[in-house]
Amino acid sequence: MLNLSDNWRSATTRLIVIYGAFFVLWGIVLVGVVYWQTGRYLSHVVDEIVEQRARYLEGVERPMLPKAMESTGALDLRGVMSIGLFGADGSYVDGNIERVPADLPVDGVIHVLPNGLDRRGRTAREPARGLARRLETGEVLVIARDTSVIDQVANIIREALLWGITLTVIPGFIGGLLLSRRPLQRVRAIEAAIEPIARGDLGRRLPVSRRGDEVDMLAAIVNRMLGEIERLLVEVKGVCDSVAHDLRTPLTRLRSQLYRLQQTGGGAEGIGPTLEHCIADVDSLLERFRALLRISELEDLRRRGGFADVDLGEILGEVHELYAPLAEDGAIAFGLDAPHGLAVYGDRHLLFEAFSNLVANAIKFTPNGGTVSVRASSEARGPRVEITDTGPGISGDERDAVLQRFYRSESGRAPPMQGYGLGLSIVAAIMRLHGFRLGIDDNAAGGARITVECWAAMTSR
Amino acid sequence: MARVLTIEDDAVTAREIVTELKRHGNDVDWVDNGAAGLKRASGGEYDAITLDRMLPGLDGLAVVKALRDAGVETPVLMISALSDVDERVRGLRAGGDDYLTKPFAPDEMIARIEVLLRRRGADRATLLRVADLELDLIARSARRGANILELLPIEFRLLEFLVRNSGQVLTRTMIFESVWGYHFDPGTNVIDVHIGRLRKKVDPPGIVPLIRTVRGSGYRLAESGLAEPE
Repeated sequence: MLNLSDNWRSATTRLIVIYGAFFVLWGIVLVGVVYWQTGRYLSHVVDEIVEQRARYLEGVERPMLPKAMESTGALDLRGVMSIGLFGADGSYVDGNIERVPADLPVDGVIHVLPNGLDRRGRTAREPARGLARRLETGEVLVIARDTSVIDQVANIIREALLWGITLTVIPGFIGGLLLSRRPLQRVRAIEAAIEPIARGDLGRRLPVSRRGDEVDMLAAIVNRMLGEIERLLVEVKGVCDSVAHDLRTPLTRLRSQLYRLQQTGGGAEGIGPTLEHCIADVDSLLERFRALLRISELEDLRRRGGFADVDLGEILGEVHELYAPLAEDGAIAFGLDAPHGLAVYGDRHLLFEAFSNLVANAIKFTPNGGTVSVRASSEARGPRVEITDTGPGISGDERDAVLQRFYRSESGRAPPMQGYGLGLSIVAAIMRLHGFRLGIDDNAAGGARITVECWAAMTSR
Repeated sequence: MARVLTIEDDAVTAREIVTELKRHGNDVDWVDNGAAGLKRASGGEYDAITLDRMLPGLDGLAVVKALRDAGVETPVLMISALSDVDERVRGLRAGGDDYLTKPFAPDEMIARIEVLLRRRGADRATLLRVADLELDLIARSARRGANILELLPIEFRLLEFLVRNSGQVLTRTMIFESVWGYHFDPGTNVIDVHIGRLRKKVDPPGIVPLIRTVRGSGYRLAESGLAEPE
């Protein structure tokens, strides 16, 4: 399952290879500089020694010269100095050099002798640096110094470089492989986790370790996205269920009425009353479709062009004015406690629609003689609106469902009631657009309490 | 007889509009594109225009804007498949007088057209009167015969709308849009309850009622004895 070519593709491996190459290159440059500097310095030292010997021997009187050459040679324990005295015709006179090297001009200046020179009693020729100078007697003095030391130093440096690179590259390579193994394994784990999700099991999530590194951050992002997708899919499924449920009843009723018309022609009253019922049924169907379209419209509403500072107290006052007669008809005490001047940043029309829906629901589900109250209070972060009723309330299990999808509260269900689920979904969509938090819990006096925190707490779209 | 121009590119919708308008005694001309519509309407001999928002070539917004720029004040009912509030605002801002979303019920369409036809004659009177019902728009007071009606502000606004459009069928949607100024569906019975309360004050038992229910459609405020068209 893990193969080399995969490892090479891993980001870690690539980084390590790039760093490795850079390091090796840098090492070479560094060692090159050291090599060059050292060589230059050692050459300089050799040249000075050679010059100094030449000056000394030049100053020695001719008869003393062989003696001086010998004593100079005696100091040279390693045998790196070559000193030779030759006649004007180039014939050997004295010293440990066989003959004047062909590539050494007699000009008193130091030259490189890559092929070395013929030493007496030695067959190996070592590269050297040396000079040839004509003495007053017409004889030629040759002084050279073996530079194999410099080459040896160079060798040491080269070897150090080779070892260094080997010791860097091989563990680096192995380390890179090992390091890239882990992220790759995690990618495989994520791949394995994604497969069932791709097949449709949206409840699954990607594994997130406790390290919180890049892979975990990515996995967390994907998980958040999956959560949103799951919510949307559940909502869509809920919509389908609810729509089918919602439409079946009026459609069935409509069909049976049409069937009766077909069978009896309306009987004694004529077709008028039955047709009126049919139109009413179709109207209620259309109303539901409008609500559905409204929700999809709201979900599409990404721009917030209609947003401005609006007075929440005023909006709640208008809502109260609109629904007060309805509450009165049901003998429901309908209280409003909302001071004017509660500023909220939002869309006036949408907020009116949302609070209308909440109030309409509260009134709808509150039995005769009950109480519905709307209260708005100013909190540190913005106004909070509370709508309480004394209806059957919404049980804990149902709350999330009510908010999350199109859902009709079973306990509060009565035949003439309609649009509960759709209404709340419209409210939820509007609140989502504003970023307001919508909460449902129990009213202390029994019934439901709906809370809207009118400040942008959620990240709104 | 009112002359109405229908500018609508979809033949089926156009037939529906034309049939309904003719059924209510209007003389209807139909054109299926914006350019021809603008040419016809520029003459100014029509009493009202139904105008599709989306037309091939010259679209509805451009037509109504060109009409208004040319000084033609014929009332225009914009009919559009775009239901967004922004679209509505754009349509009305361009010079449309009312905005109806497709698909629509024919009774909703005819009710709106008739209100537009009536509006042409509307004056800036501060005293409105229907039969023995009298509304003083400055004092915000209402009287039925000798009785002063105790109306809440919202009831006064509702009654004012009914009186201004007396004799017209007003659908619940029209009432909600005009009196409350919002464009969504508040649930049908909310408007019914408001009308019911107003009715108790305006039409006490024993007096010929002014506010009537139009089955399946909405309400109408009219003098007694006025013939029902349906």
